[in-house]
Amino acid sequence: MDSILNLWHATGIANFTFPGLIMIAVGCLLLFLAIAKNFEPLLLLPIGFGAILTNIPVAGLSDPGGLLYHVYYVGIDTGIFPLLIFMGVGALTDFSALIANPRMLLLGAAAQFGIFATLFGAILLNFIPGFEFSLQDASAIAIIGGADGPTAIFLASKLAPDLLGAIAVAAYSYMALVPIIQPPIMRAFTTSEERKIQMPELRKVSKKEKIIFPLMVLTLTAIFLPAAIPLVGMFCLGNLMRESGVVDRLSNSAQNEIINITTIFLGLAVGSKLAADQFLTVETLGILVLGALAFAIGTASGVFMAKGLNKISKTPINPLIGAAGVSAVPMAARVVNKVGLENNPHNFLLMHAMGPNVAGVLGSAVAAGILLALVG
Amino acid sequence: MDIGALLTTAGNLMLTGMVSVFVFLSLLIGAVTAMSRLVSKFAQPDLEAPQRTPSFKSQGVPNEHIAAISAAIAQYKKNNN
Repeated sequence: MDSILNLWHATGIANFTFPGLIMIAVGCLLLFLAIAKNFEPLLLLPIGFGAILTNIPVAGLSDPGGLLYHVYYVGIDTGIFPLLIFMGVGALTDFSALIANPRMLLLGAAAQFGIFATLFGAILLNFIPGFEFSLQDASAIAIIGGADGPTAIFLASKLAPDLLGAIAVAAYSYMALVPIIQPPIMRAFTTSEERKIQMPELRKVSKKEKIIFPLMVLTLTAIFLPAAIPLVGMFCLGNLMRESGVVDRLSNSAQNEIINITTIFLGLAVGSKLAADQFLTVETLGILVLGALAFAIGTASGVFMAKGLNKISKTPINPLIGAAGVSAVPMAARVVNKVGLENNPHNFLLMHAMGPNVAGVLGSAVAAGILLALVG
Repeated sequence: MDIGALLTTAGNLMLTGMVSVFVFLSLLIGAVTAMSRLVSKFAQPDLEAPQRTPSFKSQGVPNEHIAAISAAIAQYKKNNN
């Protein structure tokens, strides 16, 4: 009789808790979004599955000694996974559009206002009872506005590991929602005439420039903002491997195998942070609201900066491309192209939007470095 | 720390953060522009090489003929517009 009772206590049915079941439902929702709606499936599928695994009672995958515990400890606690992903992103990024028109960096800078405004907003939320965001928490939440998954996870693991699950889920969900969030904001702040502006073709960039560029970014970061070196350094390494043309094998591995393997485990580890006691809080709601706000403000400030540049620039600049400054490569650039085509079927803005788009990646890495240096 | 003090810190952070991002990326603009200029200065032959059309040469058409034909086409276009 005793052994039957023991067996009963070892079953899932006897050990399920209500919050645990809700979290499994959240995991299933993420799986649904990934599989049926194609929302950032590469990340949301492993995250959703990780969320389910971690909330299965008795198995204890996230308890000390469990698989997900180790994966989290090795990959995210140390910051290694997001940095490996950043190396792959560097190897995937073509900076030609930015080198041909370096002023686009200003758009990438302007869009980072979404981050810093949200930081302020997160602290403001403290006036509502139930919210107690520290400056570290607020910074980690605000980086969602950088629209860059690895950067958000890297910063959250350093500043607010408790909020990491919610922050990563918000960051990736909103990146999937870029085609829905951005266009209304872009249309609201531009006139139809502005959206029709055609931009001159970009010049061809030489191979030498492309090789020197990552080295130059690295040098400037080393001199002025060493706190951003982990992110920027790995990014530049990936980019140099790509552009140098002598290590195609390494570059291909960084772009494919390494980034894919890392993505699986990064997703699982993030999912393991979706435990009921950490996720089912009023703070998660706050993070979701603030994340959307960060995206919206970033988009708007990019558009305004582009409008300003268009006024003082000799060559015309379509204000729409400012929206790509939030990063979310290449989704944001595609959205710009689409909204541009709606107003002028012959106006292909994709290449022009890639400039601010990759500038946004650098901008968010720089903003993350600044936050680490000032708050960390 | 009470919320008021936190807000002041957050406001300061917002200001310093935005200023630093702009300063850093502006420096990068300057550096990229300077780098592009230097590269194009020292790499003139490298850039111009692909612009020539060797296919004509290989067919044995002298450069003077190409120039004459191009001038004729240009004049024809001008007269007909």
